[in-house]
Amino acid sequence: MITYVRNIVDTVRTTVKGMQVTWKNLRRPETTVQYPREECVIPKGYRGFHTLDQEACILCFQCAKICPVECIEMEADRVEKKFLSWKQFSIDYNKCLFCDLCVEVCPKDCIHMDRRSSTARYAMVTDDRSTLNLDLLTFVGLSDAEQKTVDKIVSDRAAGIVTPPAKPAAPATGAAPAAGAAAAKPTPPAAAPPAAAPAAPAAPAAKPPAPPPAAGPTPPAAT
Amino acid sequence: MDALVSLFRDSWHWAAGTSFGVALVISVLFIVAFISVWAMFGVWLERKASADFQVRLGPMEVGPHGLLQSLADGLKLAFKEDLVPKDADRFLFVFAPAVAFCGAFAAFVAIPFSPAFNVVDVDLGVFFVIAITAIGVIGVLMAGWSSNNKWSLYGAMREAAQLVSYEIPSALALMIPVLVTGSLGLRSIVEFQCMPSDGDLKAASLVYLSPNGWLALYSPWTLVAFIVYYVASLAECKRAPFDLPEAESELVAGFHTEYSGLRFSFFFLEEYGMMFVVSAVATAVFLGGWQPLPWLSINFATLGFVGHLLAVGVFLAKTIFLVWVQIWMRWTLPRLRVDQVMVMGYKYLIPITLVALTMMACYVAYGIRYVPGIG
Repeated sequence: MITYVRNIVDTVRTTVKGMQVTWKNLRRPETTVQYPREECVIPKGYRGFHTLDQEACILCFQCAKICPVECIEMEADRVEKKFLSWKQFSIDYNKCLFCDLCVEVCPKDCIHMDRRSSTARYAMVTDDRSTLNLDLLTFVGLSDAEQKTVDKIVSDRAAGIVTPPAKPAAPATGAAPAAGAAAAKPTPPAAAPPAAAPAAPAAPAAKPPAPPPAAGPTPPAAT
Repeated sequence: MDALVSLFRDSWHWAAGTSFGVALVISVLFIVAFISVWAMFGVWLERKASADFQVRLGPMEVGPHGLLQSLADGLKLAFKEDLVPKDADRFLFVFAPAVAFCGAFAAFVAIPFSPAFNVVDVDLGVFFVIAITAIGVIGVLMAGWSSNNKWSLYGAMREAAQLVSYEIPSALALMIPVLVTGSLGLRSIVEFQCMPSDGDLKAASLVYLSPNGWLALYSPWTLVAFIVYYVASLAECKRAPFDLPEAESELVAGFHTEYSGLRFSFFFLEEYGMMFVVSAVATAVFLGGWQPLPWLSINFATLGFVGHLLAVGVFLAKTIFLVWVQIWMRWTLPRLRVDQVMVMGYKYLIPITLVALTMMACYVAYGIRYVPGIG
């Protein structure tokens, strides 16, 4: 009889207790969002698509070297020892394992994969794998400001204003200065064509306006 | 509008006297429309409430806050292929959903929504509802048997066993208010709960005191009866934690495993119709029907048509609240085992109700309401 009464009491008590638990959950705000229209707040430390601060990058290749799956492809030229003429910085997300090593190794803290990345692309959903090879460059070649600076250096030099020269490093072939309008952003020295087809191989970099006739392709670096 | 009110108020006499066919058609259309709309709303409520309990959003896309989701689902059901399994008993298989639906459908006739909105004021209302809702189990048994599928048959047998067991405590629990009020009519039970002290409902002012109050609060034993009835009614309409007949994790979908399309939707209508019926009966018998507060009643008849609409609104609000509590329980309690269901029915609910019934009979006989010796 005691067990009988205790069973009844237990039933009522546990039912009430359980319903209190669900009641508490009822009063909590929803944790889900209407996904395609709203996005979750990305927690700190989330690893997603990379972003690259192109201004800060010094092209040290550390990230590409440390990458365990070799998914980073980068290519750029130094112009006037000061500027980077970007040709490629792409990450193949078919390979990337989001290990964060490239971020940690970067000496200039210019590559990130945390929530500074655009949240709009955190889903990483595609029906075409080729779209997962992402180009991180927002601009290629030289920016307008850089182009102006380079132009000024070049024109100054032509006018005889000599900036303190550093040691000329490029093993230039010393082609004739008249050989076409030499590109202000010359192709890598190894690939430098013998003056014949001048601007053609500077691959995707049709951005800056046509540079003025320049001095030779052996630019003494401006500090 | 007054004509409409009097039409509903006197529909029974009107039907018997003038044109039985027209009255029948109007009543049937009214109930069918009501059940359909209710089922759509009920499904939406269930999905929204479950989402709330699980910290989700629930349907949001179709209509404002997903209100039209049930309509879309209903359309989808209507256009689904109508399959009858090859080895099924075709006649029974086709016939079963209609039979199952009949029980819930017919019970709507007796429910007093307001002093005026009531298809028929059945004198044996409580008895009628108990009897007619039990018809549904025949349809379920037919469905399970004719499907020629072991899951269906298991589900149907469980449903039969469960319903037979829980009809007893629920009927006994309903006998306690009957004992108090001395009437089996649902409307007169509600009127008992809002009866003014001089016993003249028609002459009552707009707001008046009614010493009887709601029957759930009338006496400790009626409160016990209310709780027992509510628990037993969960089992009767196959709601969790008594959803053994369609236990998804054990029986695929129970007795309606083989059903699809419109026939399945009839079982759906039956389930949600039953949820409404048992909650409406609990509202009418234990919670004062269309009266918004216990002990303090409103004479809705003095407000005319608006008053009747208000009364219907109060009744529906209470009923929907009880349905919501059913949903709340569903998302709280795990399913009982078969033997636990039987133990609970036979070893606990029936003895408890019998004790309550006996005690209430003694209370009524000696004119006691709360505590012997005090009053």
